[in-house]
Amino acid sequence: MLEINDLKASYDETEILAGVDLDLLRGDSLAIIGESGAGKTTLGLAVMGLLDGRCSGRILLDGKDVLSLDEKERRKMRGKDMAMVFQNVEDALDPLMTVSDQIGEAISAHREKDDPLEVEDRVRGLLRSVGLGEEKGGSFPHQLSGGEKQRALIAMALANDPQVLILDEPTASLDAVTKAEVTHLLRERIREKIVLVITHDISTAAKLTEKMAVLYAGRIIEMGETRDILDNPRHPYTRGLIRSSPNMTTTKDLQGIPGRMKHGVPGCPFSDRCTQRIDRCRKEVPKLTDAGDRMIACHRGGIVPLLELSGVRTSFGDFAAVDGVDLTLYEGETIALVGESGSGKTTLAKTVIGLFEQEEGEIRLEGEPLIKRDRDFYKRVQMIYQNPKESISHRMNVLEAVAEPLAIQKVGSPSERVAMVKRVLEEVELSSDDAFLKKYPHQISGGEAQRVAIARALVLNPKLLIADEPTSALDASVQAKILKLLLNLQEKRGLAILFITHDIALARKVSDRMAVMLKGKIVEEGPTSDVTTCPTHPYTMKLLEVAPGLAPMSKARETREERGGLWDVSEMPPLRAREL
Amino acid sequence: MHVNVWHELVESNVGKAGLILIGLMVFLAVFAPVLSPYSPRENTDAPAFSRPSEDHWLGTNDARQDIWTQLLYGARTSLSVGFGVALLSAFIGVLVGGTAAIFGGLYDRFWMRVVDATIAIPDMIVIILVAAYFRPNVLLMILLLSALSWPEGARVVRAQTLTLKERMHVSAARTFGASWSHLLVRHIIPDLGPILVAIMIQDARRAVFMEAGLSFLGISDPSVMSWGIMMQYARIFTYLEVWKWWLLPTGLALSLTLIGLSFTGYSLESALDPRLREADHHHHHDGGI
Repeated sequence: MLEINDLKASYDETEILAGVDLDLLRGDSLAIIGESGAGKTTLGLAVMGLLDGRCSGRILLDGKDVLSLDEKERRKMRGKDMAMVFQNVEDALDPLMTVSDQIGEAISAHREKDDPLEVEDRVRGLLRSVGLGEEKGGSFPHQLSGGEKQRALIAMALANDPQVLILDEPTASLDAVTKAEVTHLLRERIREKIVLVITHDISTAAKLTEKMAVLYAGRIIEMGETRDILDNPRHPYTRGLIRSSPNMTTTKDLQGIPGRMKHGVPGCPFSDRCTQRIDRCRKEVPKLTDAGDRMIACHRGGIVPLLELSGVRTSFGDFAAVDGVDLTLYEGETIALVGESGSGKTTLAKTVIGLFEQEEGEIRLEGEPLIKRDRDFYKRVQMIYQNPKESISHRMNVLEAVAEPLAIQKVGSPSERVAMVKRVLEEVELSSDDAFLKKYPHQISGGEAQRVAIARALVLNPKLLIADEPTSALDASVQAKILKLLLNLQEKRGLAILFITHDIALARKVSDRMAVMLKGKIVEEGPTSDVTTCPTHPYTMKLLEVAPGLAPMSKARETREERGGLWDVSEMPPLRAREL
Repeated sequence: MHVNVWHELVESNVGKAGLILIGLMVFLAVFAPVLSPYSPRENTDAPAFSRPSEDHWLGTNDARQDIWTQLLYGARTSLSVGFGVALLSAFIGVLVGGTAAIFGGLYDRFWMRVVDATIAIPDMIVIILVAAYFRPNVLLMILLLSALSWPEGARVVRAQTLTLKERMHVSAARTFGASWSHLLVRHIIPDLGPILVAIMIQDARRAVFMEAGLSFLGISDPSVMSWGIMMQYARIFTYLEVWKWWLLPTGLALSLTLIGLSFTGYSLESALDPRLREADHHHHHDGGI
């Protein structure tokens, strides 16, 4: 077993690893993910005893501390007990030796007595097992493709059947098909070993490992089952990483994480970039603690639920427009509320914001039950409306309109307000010059008016934005820009958005989760990708069926529709090698 | 909706005539000391009941007072009462009607019953009783008349506010955490503007008429010069020729004031209500923003 205790490492005063603890048994595969510079490779090198910098803590492999061994003993262990597949395929092989010779060398290095025939036999076996074919063994590295070189490196790493295998970006420079093949190969070969997969490629990590640890500025900030972490990231950084990595599962547009990683910040290393930090985050380092199905290091216990609705009911006379709705919206997350007009979406939104009286149920905001909506409430929750021009008084110019919330909330002096207005106008990508400030709603375009409306909502720095069909009155091209803006603002401010729309195609692009509403009830709710790919409620299926698409009906679909059913499996075209 | 009501008011002939008449009366009232060398109670050197002359444009009355001067100062009283009541009752109307519409619920129901009750009171009788007892001066008269004339305005304001309240910019202001006073001052009243002026003109017309009536009945402060008092005195001497330049001009001044207010009010209301507008109005405004 491999046990790492309080491992710290630094290069020239810069602390790269700031106390890492890991416990791995034979058969465990752990992905270490994080941005470049997080200390992932340093961790791998430290385990291998290859680190140049200063190191403290303990790395115990079957009770032996790698860090306290001398170089000779370490060399004995490397390659035999533990092996590493390095990141850079091009440089890791000796250009003057054939592949077979290099693998053979790796084997003989750990033998007292050489038996050339046995070694040769083993090399052939290894080449076969990594799918290279024996004839490739005689090739020099430059005669091999990237994928083949990677296979050769894997064969070298496996040469002495090590207990610990460290894969540093094993598929980073490979094309998608080769990557899939190599991933498949690795999955076969790494069973019954202790495997550390160091990667920034989340999909590779997902395919190769059972467990996952997220490393940030030298600390593990979230660790648990790979499936759990990817389906439901709890640390804001983990969610940011998943959001910024292109994949075929999520449907929302890519979003980044604001700011840059810095080492050696006091308090939580992520606090600078975190949108839900509190004072404590800047002062104290959060400990990695058990949070049910995983470990997490966050003073706020991970991403906080911002808005929780339970059993909310709003009725007009005898008619319940919203009839017992439960919904939780997390910090920095978008939930799309979809459904046809009259399904109660807008009523629900107006109930939350307080334009309609809520009859039953409980609303909690940041964990506190919402009793009355005072001025302070509207600092935290804001709304933008369907028709931007009507939501701005025709008697107010841009400056007055955007300063109105500040005036109502009595924030700042008049001159400070002007400065704040200009800042927020720039944030929503509008001009902040005097000419624009003096324009009235009827003098600006619909897209500009919606930006002004967004600026009005954001000038108070809310945590939750309710957007009621914010783009339905706009042209498609303007709509796209407004949606991009909302996503950017979410990324920057950690804004939680309750996005109300009847357009499921639109909802799919902007939301993390989707709630389908019908007759005042939520009939289906889940990650947007799940809801849109495998809907369970017939109404969701209907919505998806009528959703806009671009492709003219394909031949297969035409036939299918003529026949009125799905393809028989037997009639399907044969599967091509999708994954080796 | 962006109909320029003021523009339409000035454009229409009726509105123009109304505004000119009101303007004329305001001019006479404001410049009374300039337009006449006498004071209204002054006993001039001219004999009683003298005919109109260069010195006395409308002659003199039984007490050798200049009738033209009295007419000018009477306009002051009439118009002060008119405008005073208009402003005060509109203020009460907006406060009661506006807040009732914004708050709704029990508060709304309470005030609307108060409105019903006040409308049901027979104005004339109450005023005569109160006025006979207090002999009210101008200020008291304004208070008294306002107390009885605000409910109509409150009703209209409430109805209008209920519609305005549903406008999105008002909802938006509410969701910024706006207080009722902010909503009323910044969002409701500006849009109530024209209708509020229509209400005020209505109230002013009623007040001018009532004030004249009451002083004619002799139940006002006798030290205040007023058209009602003038007509009451003039009536006594109708057997003489003097009514031609005493009773007639006073009645005419009162009528013109009332006509001016009526015309302006009528024209304003037709500008506000599209159904009252002429079908082929030459001035076509685009309704959209």
